[in-house]
Amino acid sequence: MFIDVSALKKTYTTGVIKNEVLKGLEMKLGKGEIGVILGPSGSGKSTLMNIIGGVDRCDSGRVIVDGTEINKLSDDQLTEYRRKDIGFVFQFYNLVPNLTVGENIEVVSNISKSPLNVDEVLRAVEMQDKKRRFPRELSGGEQQRVSIARAIDKNPKLLLCDEPTGALDYQTSRSILNLLQRVNKEFGTTILMITHNAAIAAMANRVFRLRSGEVVDEVVNQVIAPAERIEW
Amino acid sequence: MVMALNKRVFRFLKENKLRYLGILALIILGSYIFVVAAGLSQNLANLVTTFTKEHVQEDLSFNADKAVLDSAKIEKEAGAVIEDYMSFDAALSDTLTLRILSETKKVNIPAVTEGRALSGPGEILLDPAFAKANGYPVGSQIEAAGKTLTVAGFVSLPHYIYPLKNVNDILYSPNEFGVAIINREEFSDIDNAAGIYSVRFNDRTKSLNKQAVELRESLRAEGITVSDWIDISDNKRARMVWASITGMKTMSVPLPAAMFLLSCLIIGIMFWRMIRRESVIIGTLYAQGYRRRELMRHYMAVPLLLAFAGGMIGSLLGLPSIKPMVMAMISYYNVPVPGIELSFLNVLIGILTPTLFLGLSSYLVIRSELKRSPAELMKGDKQKTKVNALERAFKLERLKFSTKFKLREQFRSISRLVFLLLGVTSASVIMLFGFTVLNSMNHAFSASDVYRFEYEYAFRDLQLGEAPEGAEAFNAGKFYSENNEEIEFYISGIEPDSTLVILKDGKGNPIPNNQTNITRSLANRLGIKAGDTVSFINKENGKPYTFHIDAVADSYVEQFIYVPIHEFNREMGLPENGYMGLFSTTKLDIPDEELSGTKSVSELPGAMDEFFGQMVSMVALMTIVSSIVALIILYLVTSLIIEENRNTISLFKVFGYRRREIKSMMLNSSTFVIVAGFLIGIPVAAASMGAVYGYIGNMINLVLPAIVSPLYVVISFAAIMLTYQLSKLLCAKSLETVSMGEALKAGAE
Repeated sequence: MFIDVSALKKTYTTGVIKNEVLKGLEMKLGKGEIGVILGPSGSGKSTLMNIIGGVDRCDSGRVIVDGTEINKLSDDQLTEYRRKDIGFVFQFYNLVPNLTVGENIEVVSNISKSPLNVDEVLRAVEMQDKKRRFPRELSGGEQQRVSIARAIDKNPKLLLCDEPTGALDYQTSRSILNLLQRVNKEFGTTILMITHNAAIAAMANRVFRLRSGEVVDEVVNQVIAPAERIEW
Repeated sequence: MVMALNKRVFRFLKENKLRYLGILALIILGSYIFVVAAGLSQNLANLVTTFTKEHVQEDLSFNADKAVLDSAKIEKEAGAVIEDYMSFDAALSDTLTLRILSETKKVNIPAVTEGRALSGPGEILLDPAFAKANGYPVGSQIEAAGKTLTVAGFVSLPHYIYPLKNVNDILYSPNEFGVAIINREEFSDIDNAAGIYSVRFNDRTKSLNKQAVELRESLRAEGITVSDWIDISDNKRARMVWASITGMKTMSVPLPAAMFLLSCLIIGIMFWRMIRRESVIIGTLYAQGYRRRELMRHYMAVPLLLAFAGGMIGSLLGLPSIKPMVMAMISYYNVPVPGIELSFLNVLIGILTPTLFLGLSSYLVIRSELKRSPAELMKGDKQKTKVNALERAFKLERLKFSTKFKLREQFRSISRLVFLLLGVTSASVIMLFGFTVLNSMNHAFSASDVYRFEYEYAFRDLQLGEAPEGAEAFNAGKFYSENNEEIEFYISGIEPDSTLVILKDGKGNPIPNNQTNITRSLANRLGIKAGDTVSFINKENGKPYTFHIDAVADSYVEQFIYVPIHEFNREMGLPENGYMGLFSTTKLDIPDEELSGTKSVSELPGAMDEFFGQMVSMVALMTIVSSIVALIILYLVTSLIIEENRNTISLFKVFGYRRREIKSMMLNSSTFVIVAGFLIGIPVAAASMGAVYGYIGNMINLVLPAIVSPLYVVISFAAIMLTYQLSKLLCAKSLETVSMGEALKAGAE
């Protein structure tokens, strides 16, 4: 399995209050698959994704990504892991405001060993004519396209998407999901996506339902729905 | 409700302690400099003006070939008070001379500053700096002019405020020279004492030059030939102090203004950003029924508090500093100090100016934000929708990503960029200013290698014939420009094949002496260049003379036009072989009674060392002040950059940027602005220095070159860069504290 998470535990302590966010969570995702994590607020979705993405650490358990047990990596090794293997797509895009579209993609290509051509990636997300625009001159959907272009430019092994359509309208959301599905097919990128929108589960290979820090349901879709046909 | 809100004011300050402390320090520095510089110049000006007025400073002095017998008649004709006094240079050792003057009653009245006035023979009043340097306290005894005299007290003299031995000297050293006063009767047994007449005109509104020419005519009519005619405007002993006063005056406004302006800019930038961040809270408070003026009052509290506190602290610290500073400045001069006046108007200006400046700039910024509707404000920190002109103008495609990022970071906020640029330029200018003064002095004195003679002798009467072996003859006359009576200078006739006066052009090539040459300083002041034909008025007879200038010599120390001596004599109607002075490489055996003055070049170094010692301390002080200013500005900008980029920094961490990569991109983004600010500072320092020199030049008849030395530029640059590194160190820690979680939880853009 490309992602193999077992007995994953994480507790946050604020003063005297302890909040056990992950309680021995188990999950697996194959290489080149799309995984969707569904669950209410506070179920541990973001914590799970942060640990898999190497931006947070677990208290116990094991997280293997493409054969690397990342829970054993040092801070510097985690930095290298994120640098080489992980792409992030955020709900609110997180583009650098004073860099142009092209330069925002360079933020990532600048630290990648073999990045994809910026123009090519922009063409893939249909933003080639807006390369010199600043984020503030783009719509939300366009900003999310740039954010995806930035994430895939380094050709990551794993693309982590945190509510990628959470701030977008219906039409734009569908086009973004379509784009992610294309990226998955064209580049063979494994995608793990957090969403509140259960309809999106139809486009995933595997669907994980989380509740109170545990996977309460895992569904393997035999038929993957094309994103443009998903409705909600 | 409003009271609860006010609790936030101190929390704002607490949250960004260092940043607000930096702003406070800028305001304090601004108010402090204003109160001190204004107080210093006002006090010095008052002290000098009161002293010269009350103690009747002379307008001119001269020597006469015979006694002015009917002085009452001449006084009436010339509308002046004339009083003669005796002068004798007593050699106390090989290197120490005490000039003993007789006590006067009408002009140049001595002011006793310590001890008591002369009560009889056997007593002496000493110049205090001389007494201190050579160990003569009040009550001690001094051997001079073959007499044993008791020091009755210390004295200030209106015509020896800066006690130079020779009127054309620049530097004074109490270890080598001093003045003293004794009873006139004491001169009866002193041989070779010179008699000097001091004159003060009664009509203070009429041209002093015209009155002087009329006086000369009256004297000539009486059959009296005068020599050593010295107008007070040419007398550095009296004028030098005005250079300091003018220097202080010129500093008292622009420096604090620059500090206040910088504070306004940074406060404006910070508040604009703070208000933007607070827009949801403001919108909510609006929605809850708060009035605009209540919110305005709330947000104005911080800048007003800072401005008022800074102005108050700076001004109050400035007040007690005035007295010691006046005393330190006055220690170079000999002026009685009956008291120091502390101006509470200046304190008020020192407090109100920053309050007004900062209050207004903050008001404008806050008002523009409070104009938005509550609904709009509650939507949150709306993205800036406009791309500014700088961001748009630069096409950076071909640059390295890190360079692009740094440039974009600076272009993002024009106001922040202007603040940084202005700040670094101002700090560099202050620093270079100090170094330029040092360098100019150095250059001016080293440039005086035009004079290859060791001794300069001035005769009382015109000499005829050949100059003695090893000496060269010269003649000189005082002239002034027809349009500008203020600028007076000597035109000197020198031997056409002179080897003792070597003038050089800007490239260091010698200029022949068989033509008319002008020194650079004088050419600059008169605004003339090689090839010009110019007409000047002779001060002695008021007649115009025309000269064709052949070349400009690179000399800054003295203000001369040199012409071949035979041409000078022909023009002035003097015998062809006549001369009034000699330049010589060796000491000449000339009877003292024939001489009106001698000058030894070797007397200069001792005074120069002392002078440069003081200069170095002043430059060090200016470097420290400008480094502090630079540090505050760089810290403020760097911390602002980090604050504004928290999300980007966090994002970079998430993307796998290494610590040093983030550090380099964030903290080094100001480097090119700092370099640019420094480079801009070089011509600005040179130009402002030139302006100040021009101003001071008119006061003391000395024009210095505003030369910025490459060595000092490097030193200043190193100091600025060191400060920059220090500010980065201070900010590096806050870079570490930005967590990856900030990007993961970020709301927009």
